Amino acid sequence: MKTHLRNITFLAIVFLLVGNTFAQTIGDFKMDETELYAMTKQMGQFMRRFNYEEDQFGERLNPKDPNFRSNEMRRKSLPILFDQEKYGTQTDLQRYFIEDVTKGDSTYMTFLGGRWFSEVSCTFKYNGKDAKVMLFLTVEKEGLGSKWVLTNVYFSEFNKLFPQGEIAEREKHFLHPMSHELDFMNIYKVFQNPEVVDYYASKEFQPDYLTLFFYEIKQGKLVFQHVDSVKFHVLQIKDWYFEVSWFNRSGLNSGWLMSNVVYMPEKEKTNLIKFYQP
Amino acid sequence: MKKIIATLVIALCVVGSAMAQDELSFERKQAIDSLALEKVRDLSKYIKIVGSKETPFSEANRVIDRAEELFMSDAEIGVSSLGSNQITYYRVRKYFEHLMRLNYDRVEIEWYNIEYVSDLQRQPDGTYVGVITIFQTFRGYDKEGNMVYKDTTKKDITVYVKRKETQIGGRTIGFWDVLLGDMRVKETTNR
Repeated sequence: MKTHLRNITFLAIVFLLVGNTFAQTIGDFKMDETELYAMTKQMGQFMRRFNYEEDQFGERLNPKDPNFRSNEMRRKSLPILFDQEKYGTQTDLQRYFIEDVTKGDSTYMTFLGGRWFSEVSCTFKYNGKDAKVMLFLTVEKEGLGSKWVLTNVYFSEFNKLFPQGEIAEREKHFLHPMSHELDFMNIYKVFQNPEVVDYYASKEFQPDYLTLFFYEIKQGKLVFQHVDSVKFHVLQIKDWYFEVSWFNRSGLNSGWLMSNVVYMPEKEKTNLIKFYQP
Repeated sequence: MKKIIATLVIALCVVGSAMAQDELSFERKQAIDSLALEKVRDLSKYIKIVGSKETPFSEANRVIDRAEELFMSDAEIGVSSLGSNQITYYRVRKYFEHLMRLNYDRVEIEWYNIEYVSDLQRQPDGTYVGVITIFQTFRGYDKEGNMVYKDTTKKDITVYVKRKETQIGGRTIGFWDVLLGDMRVKETTNR
């Protein structure tokens, strides 16, 4: 409790200081910049604040500065990176998270550290009608630098094409093991009912939605309209998964903030990572 | 054999010096930040001049020319409002012409002191890319002097930084070339 009060006091002092220093008067209007300083304005700033690589005024810290990546400073500044409307200012989860990520030195977030994905929710036209499509992207190293690349796509129409189906129903559909001796004369059954054609595939088969997506784009059936929203899925921090979303609101808790935080041991991350990057 | 070893040594020296150049020191980053901020401040100044109803048409056009020079030739400005996710894309000149023609009797365009500079990341061709975030308030007034429109926008401006060389008096001088790229203009409040 004492630590928590100390954190709140620290933040209040920081923002009061910032506010007093940077209130600006233009004509008849007084522009209070406190909220804009408090806002986590870029995802890169989220990372810098997460690691404590910048001071409270957003100035980059010299790596030689004793406060650079200081766990003590991180413990004080990390609460502002949580969506406080959801997490309040002192939940057990928040406390546990902060305690855990500030105890060692392997829990910093880096741009090229991998295992963080962008989810870009878009509107496309599909056969002439509006359709919501989620694109997943990751940063990939290439040449002298890096770039964002598409890793997967979620589009409900694609999922409908490959329903899991009842096991009993799936088990009815197979080519018996001696089919080869009959020159596969029974193979027409595979194509008799297109809805279940995939039941005849190997158990290893996984539909590749990104290929389907590219196909539909190339066919001109899916046409990009606009981006609706962006968020990030971060699996880079040992034993944690969290989402970072954009909060456009007034107050001292806005911009890119942690919107969903889950304790997730490393071995449990594999399936989730497979979803973002099959 | 000696020749091969000598060639390898020279190649490694060249690669080594190139790699040393690629790693930007903290001080170098700060110097590049300043260069980039200078361009963004010029842009802010130009937006204010072109937006002002007191700027004569010919002067506004001259300033638009200067503004265009700050940007890469293919740069676009993507504008969205709170009520819609749709982004309207403008080329730099069109954006400024649109600003010049806004239908208000008087406008006030002001900038907050905040200038947030991202880290620079290298793209595959080696060019450094960063983003500078600034905030602007806009107020439009009618003939009677009533404020009829107000908004605050967040402007995220791409900055490209490239190491270039030029010949001055027979000597090769290296310098950092900074150009602005796409700019995202997002309304954050209209209150």
